[in-house]
Amino acid sequence: MTFEYTPSELMAVAGARELKDRQVVAVGLGLPVVASFLAKQTHAPNMTILFELGVINPQPIHTGVGLADPRVWYQAEVLSSFVDILGSILHSGRVDVGFLGGLETDKYGNLNTSLVGDPHGKFRHMVGSGGANDIASCAQRTVIIIRHEAHKLQHVCGSRRQRGRLLQTQHGGDDVADTPVRLVEIRVRDHDAASLASRAQHESTGGVVLGQPLHRREDQRVMREHKLAAEARRLVQRRIVDLE
Amino acid sequence: MSKISTLSEAVSSIPSGSHISLSGFAITRCAMAFAREVIRQGLKELTLSQCVGAMDADLLVGAGAVNRLIYGGGSLDRFGRLASVNRGIEQGLLIAEEYSSLSVAFRYLAGSLGLPFIPIRSLRGSDLMKQLEEKYPGDVAEVDDPFTGKSWKVLRPLNPNVAVIQVQSADEEGNAWIMGPRWDNVEQAKASKRTILITENIISNKTIRQNPERTVIPGLFVSHVVQLPFSAHPTSVYREYDYDSKAIEEYVEASKTPESFKEYIDRTIFAVKGHEEYLKLMGSKTNLRSLRADPALGY
Repeated sequence: MTFEYTPSELMAVAGARELKDRQVVAVGLGLPVVASFLAKQTHAPNMTILFELGVINPQPIHTGVGLADPRVWYQAEVLSSFVDILGSILHSGRVDVGFLGGLETDKYGNLNTSLVGDPHGKFRHMVGSGGANDIASCAQRTVIIIRHEAHKLQHVCGSRRQRGRLLQTQHGGDDVADTPVRLVEIRVRDHDAASLASRAQHESTGGVVLGQPLHRREDQRVMREHKLAAEARRLVQRRIVDLE
Repeated sequence: MSKISTLSEAVSSIPSGSHISLSGFAITRCAMAFAREVIRQGLKELTLSQCVGAMDADLLVGAGAVNRLIYGGGSLDRFGRLASVNRGIEQGLLIAEEYSSLSVAFRYLAGSLGLPFIPIRSLRGSDLMKQLEEKYPGDVAEVDDPFTGKSWKVLRPLNPNVAVIQVQSADEEGNAWIMGPRWDNVEQAKASKRTILITENIISNKTIRQNPERTVIPGLFVSHVVQLPFSAHPTSVYREYDYDSKAIEEYVEASKTPESFKEYIDRTIFAVKGHEEYLKLMGSKTNLRSLRADPALGY
């Protein structure tokens, strides 16, 4: 049996699996939004979804262009402010999971959302932190979801300054994070990859880096692709998963 | 006392070199008509601040009106980056004091409460903090909690000269409603020395008094009330109108180079006398009425 799904959809499924019912989740821009809605509509109906700008538990029926789009605030239970969401709920320690995307990360879970450098010392400024640094600094646990490409998953973060990158640590209270995190990688098998949308190449697999200490080597497991494909079909709702 | 004034009067009350906090968030409730009038009147050397960088700030930076930006990062959502802000940072032409959303919000909150500083858990251990400590040591510091001895990063309050807040409805005295999320707008207004409201609708003081719990900015903070329809165009105003995708895409295309940006502001700002003519110009491409929000959806 074959199913049609994109690597992004597969990543959204894997991301959704990291969220549990009744958790309070601060959700960042991009894939975390899709994964969170997926979790809430399937196995985590009592999860609380927070958007930094002042939105709690919306039920969108149309795809938005980002968090600033009123489409993603539709049917929210609360529409308030940064100080309310990032302050009274996040800064006070009430958020179980911070769920973020970004430009690049490393094995310690340091996250860069600001600058992309090249070896010649030039850089491009991208989006910046927004609430990402706040979420990573204050949430009990941080999940980073990022496409598995060489330039996005850095082995170490030690040379970040020389390369002109701005990294943000996920560990509030510490200095730069130095505890390795658990890495979950989703690999799409070669022949499956060929049958995916033409833009998806087999090296472009999805990866999810989890903000938990790395205990055993086995934790770096490769997920079974057939099981995931079946889940993707069961869980992914195309209306919401309308990425890129 | 009525504070109703024209956009031109409100803008001319602001001297060059002022610190203005702007109400936009990416592509929604941006003070666009205000920004266009600032460019028309030729204000320079402004400091801008907002929690999340938005289209109003990007337009002003691109037009060369801004020296310094205090913000927590930002974009035009899926339409693109803040090209003018980013170009300013990359070329070293713009002083960009870069924080996270909550740290800017906390700086406004401290400013609104009259506190000397505010402790925060964010930023610690990050390169953002490193950069702030190196470049802007006057705005961040570290203190020991007198009760526990724990060390805290602290931020200096922000007290802008003026907040410019785009709202849905206000009365003549400046009692204002903001529908939808308010992000940092209320703290901005209360931290600033005064506030200019740009409102879609003027409602009566009687209506305000019938719904006093809806007032999020009390009139006492407000110096000018300017009523202008579609004044956030091409960004959205919740429950009033949607963002204008075509016009934002046009902006994104124009902001790719300084030359095409200059041509864009010549055509959309300098070549038109004011907001009405701007809307006519835009209306020739998009039917503005088609952007009107569905009352049930809010967009």
